[in-house]
Amino acid sequence: MARFKKKNKTAPARPVKNQPSVDHITGQKIPKSFVFSRGKLPGPLRDLELDLRKLMLPHTALKLKEKKRNKLKDFLNVAGPMGVTHFLMISNPKSIPHLRVARTPQGPTITFEIHEYALAADIARSQARPSCPKELFSNSPLIVLSGFGSGGQHLKLTTIMFQNIFPAIDINTIKLSSCRRIVLLNYNNETKLIDFRHYSIRLQPIGVSRRIRKFVQKHEVPDLRNLQDVSDFVTKAGYGSESEADEESATVSLASDIGRVNRASTKSAVRLQEIGPRMTLRLVKIEEGLCSGAVIFSEFGKEADDAHEEEEEED
Amino acid sequence: MATELETLAAASVSRKRKPEHKTGKKPSKRVKQKASSMAAPKPRKPSRKMRKLFRKRAREYHSDEEEESDEDPSSEEEESDRDLDFVDDDGSGGSERDDEDGREGAQHGITRFVEGCRAFRIAFMKIMKKHVPDDPLGPILSAHKKLVAEKLAEEVSENKTKAEMKKEKQMEADKGHVKPATFLDAREKLLVSVATKGVVKLFNAVSKAQSSQTGLNPSGSKNAKVMAKQRKQAFFSELQKPTTQFCDSKSMDKNNELGWAPLRNNYMLTSSKLKDWDKMPEAAAVVDHKQVLSESSSDEE
Repeated sequence: MARFKKKNKTAPARPVKNQPSVDHITGQKIPKSFVFSRGKLPGPLRDLELDLRKLMLPHTALKLKEKKRNKLKDFLNVAGPMGVTHFLMISNPKSIPHLRVARTPQGPTITFEIHEYALAADIARSQARPSCPKELFSNSPLIVLSGFGSGGQHLKLTTIMFQNIFPAIDINTIKLSSCRRIVLLNYNNETKLIDFRHYSIRLQPIGVSRRIRKFVQKHEVPDLRNLQDVSDFVTKAGYGSESEADEESATVSLASDIGRVNRASTKSAVRLQEIGPRMTLRLVKIEEGLCSGAVIFSEFGKEADDAHEEEEEED
Repeated sequence: MATELETLAAASVSRKRKPEHKTGKKPSKRVKQKASSMAAPKPRKPSRKMRKLFRKRAREYHSDEEEESDEDPSSEEEESDRDLDFVDDDGSGGSERDDEDGREGAQHGITRFVEGCRAFRIAFMKIMKKHVPDDPLGPILSAHKKLVAEKLAEEVSENKTKAEMKKEKQMEADKGHVKPATFLDAREKLLVSVATKGVVKLFNAVSKAQSSQTGLNPSGSKNAKVMAKQRKQAFFSELQKPTTQFCDSKSMDKNNELGWAPLRNNYMLTSSKLKDWDKMPEAAAVVDHKQVLSESSSDEE
């Protein structure tokens, strides 16, 4: 029955994009990550997983296929040859969503409880003018950790973990045009919650009216119907209010030109717009190994910790 | 000629239903009588339209029988005859008994139809007259009224529980999922400002570091000299780095994190840096700028 036999066809060989494991300029190792789920996830959490993958771009597997029977070991086996250094795992034990961030292959593993989360789609829906161009994701985001200095050792470890999850920046060689996104982790000392936010960075020249800025940015003929003279276009201030008064703290003078409007000679204002997922995390546990090993830190007591471990094993 | 045909038709009918033939006479008479009695209060002559309709229905009623008896031409004549009879019947009030007897087979359809119509009418009227109790379930035409009611109630409760379960499941799946507000509240504003501060700090640091190179205009002869000097220095420093390492050992060259990963000394041992993270907090502060940034921003808090 030859016709039932599988034809000896192979998928057309995709040109393998050889992503360098080492930065060309700084010579440092580029961290790569896998974002995947452990156990079955409900719909919104699966969306959160996808959002996190997008956040981790470009050094992550955006279309990582995971199957039900995939064990942690399978991912670990792939991670070695691929140069994957970090795992982000989402699980939902006892319907409490958890996020685990781990270094491969030896750990440590940091477990967070996701108290609240909002998807990128939700945030886009809440904004009047959401914008999330694809170019944002061609460079890895900056990371800002704030409020972590006050805590103990476990917070220090968390800081190190999150700093190493994105490639390091070299101030002398970095191009500012490649800094388009920022991930903020803000630790609140009172509530012991970590706010996880993801913003896009926009630079706008200061002291230029909105009309002219738009005119330069867009390649469009402006609407001059309501003007008496061409000079009005320049002199007349637009009725659009400069909603955010440019605070001195939010302005930068650039070293080099970025785009068409932000010249090196002028000052620019930094505008942040939220994209991507939003999470409120609580540090629950730190383990020495990769989802195993001795517990370095636990939010709960000793007994509670044992119970927690059991539930972790379930998924 | 008409009678002959009728007998033929009657024969054809009788051929089919022999047991009915004998008994069929009596009811037919009764029916006739009934029909006549019923016709009395009714308007005597049905309108032309109605007659046409009756005829058509009768034809349809007989249609399969006729197909089987393959007497198509005769049936048409029969119909015409029947039509006449009908008129006669209405006119004379069914006085001609023997004629009716002979015609019985031919008129079967109409009488039956009339009977059926009447029966249906009576039944329908009866139903419509019936006083229906004000049940929430509505009228039920079933002998097992209680059973039906029970079943329906069960279904309703089942659906309710199912909906509840579904809702619960949805709630569980959506646990922690929060739809953000359309405005920026105080907390969000604070977070944005923190992030902005971080970005500004980084950008300023970058511009400070890079302006030393780009701030000099290469067209000026003085600046060009300075730049060349800088370049030279940078070049030499770059040159010296590997050479000193090379003198130490050959493998140290690969320590520079360039080249094939397995040849590096610290291959697969990179996490060792994190293993004793609490013992050397200062060592962790690598040249990594991000850390500097984060620490400085955290100090502000």
